[in-house]
Amino acid sequence: MKHFGRKAALAAAGLMIAAMTGCAGVPANTVHTADDLTGKTIACQLGTTGYIFAGDIEGATVEGYNKGADAVQALLQGKADAVIIDSEPANVFVSKNAGLQILDDPFAVEEYAIAYKKGNSELGDKIDKALDELKADGTLDEIVSHWVGDTADSVSYTPDPDVERTGKLIMATNAEFPPYESKSGDAVVGIDPDMMQAVCDKLGMELVIEDMAFDSIIAAVDSGKADVGVAGMSVTEERLKNVDFSQGYATTTQVIIVRAD
Amino acid sequence: MYMMGGFGQKLHDTFIEGDRWTYLTNGLKITLIVTFFASLLGIVLGFLLAIIRSTHDKTGKLRILDALARVYLTVIRGTPVLVQLMIIYFVIFASFNVSKIFVAVMAFGLNSAAYVAEIVRSGIMSIDNGQFEAGASLGLSYPKTMLFIILPQAFRNILPALANEFIVLLKETSVAGNIALNDLTKGGDIIRSATYEAFLPLFAVALIYLAMVMILSRLVTLLERRLAKSDRGN
Repeated sequence: MKHFGRKAALAAAGLMIAAMTGCAGVPANTVHTADDLTGKTIACQLGTTGYIFAGDIEGATVEGYNKGADAVQALLQGKADAVIIDSEPANVFVSKNAGLQILDDPFAVEEYAIAYKKGNSELGDKIDKALDELKADGTLDEIVSHWVGDTADSVSYTPDPDVERTGKLIMATNAEFPPYESKSGDAVVGIDPDMMQAVCDKLGMELVIEDMAFDSIIAAVDSGKADVGVAGMSVTEERLKNVDFSQGYATTTQVIIVRAD
Repeated sequence: MYMMGGFGQKLHDTFIEGDRWTYLTNGLKITLIVTFFASLLGIVLGFLLAIIRSTHDKTGKLRILDALARVYLTVIRGTPVLVQLMIIYFVIFASFNVSKIFVAVMAFGLNSAAYVAEIVRSGIMSIDNGQFEAGASLGLSYPKTMLFIILPQAFRNILPALANEFIVLLKETSVAGNIALNDLTKGGDIIRSATYEAFLPLFAVALIYLAMVMILSRLVTLLERRLAKSDRGN
């Protein structure tokens, strides 16, 4: 019996090592254009527009992960054939993983906007006015160019210390979506937090950021737990049933990430 | 809270529109499959571990196997099942495209086995030593005594605790959505992500789990009664 125990332990250890080092290779990339997606396994972040678009592809198996990073991990390991996600986070993921590439075919073009409670046009008008001003004086462009592109090392937006702040503006977001929002230590940083800080400077309010699951953001705004939802969120018909949106603040494309050839 | 018309619309959007109710029925199927096979794995491995550990406790044999079993129990019970699930999916099967159901069955089964093992061991240890001696005096070997005399008595004592473990297991499978397995909870999440309506999908999911647990509890009560009857028959 003792002997058996030792053999079993050896076999188990061998199996673990074999599994860790990976006997089976990751299959080669089979998706070269958007048309190749038919019948493939597509990983997405649940609740994003990429997930909705992927559902319309003929014969495709759509896998909804809770995080974009998990979807990319599944792609890297050969568990999925492609990931459909917004272009900026796609660039971040691809820059951090050598084995990935973004297809030249953009999948869809859309605009990000700020969600607020249905019918709260008072807040909506104020936000739209603030966005107009931030676009006109170049603040929004500066924020965006701080987070994407060559000037990424320049100083991020600093809140105006002279503003008198009355009341809080609670912003619901999902800090898994760089460069729009991600975690840095305990803080949520990125284009959306900086832009909303600038909006709050215009409104004279204090910005409070609540990090939550992406598919909980609309519910949080709808139920009044948050005042605004800002999470690289584009306007869709279904979302408009539950919340209203400000004017767009960024144009983005949905892109297809695949393994490098 | 809702206007009647609004509520009817929400019911329609949540369940009827685009046949969304099928997310729940398909999800339930996956949840039940995972729970069933994970329970089986948990029982088989759990009983094995319990027999190894209690044999060591009673006779001092199987030193190496007992040490391995202890390590297993410590590691499995010392880490969250969600972390174990992610490790099995993204680390152990890193370069294999394995079925997600298989991964979930492995994760929840291996996890459950650790808890089942301690439940079964407590059952075995609760049986009077005289029963082992009685077996030996009848000329039965140790394995036969264990199988035919000790385990049947232990099983009846631990049935409520085992049933509790499987109720916990059924509900614990709700984290399987993290590896994009479309179980019952994920089915509700998918509906929620399409309608942005939290109330109906979450309550529907909660009610289905509740119904499953009530059915499971009922079955266990029936089994307990059966076993009590056969006990009187002796």
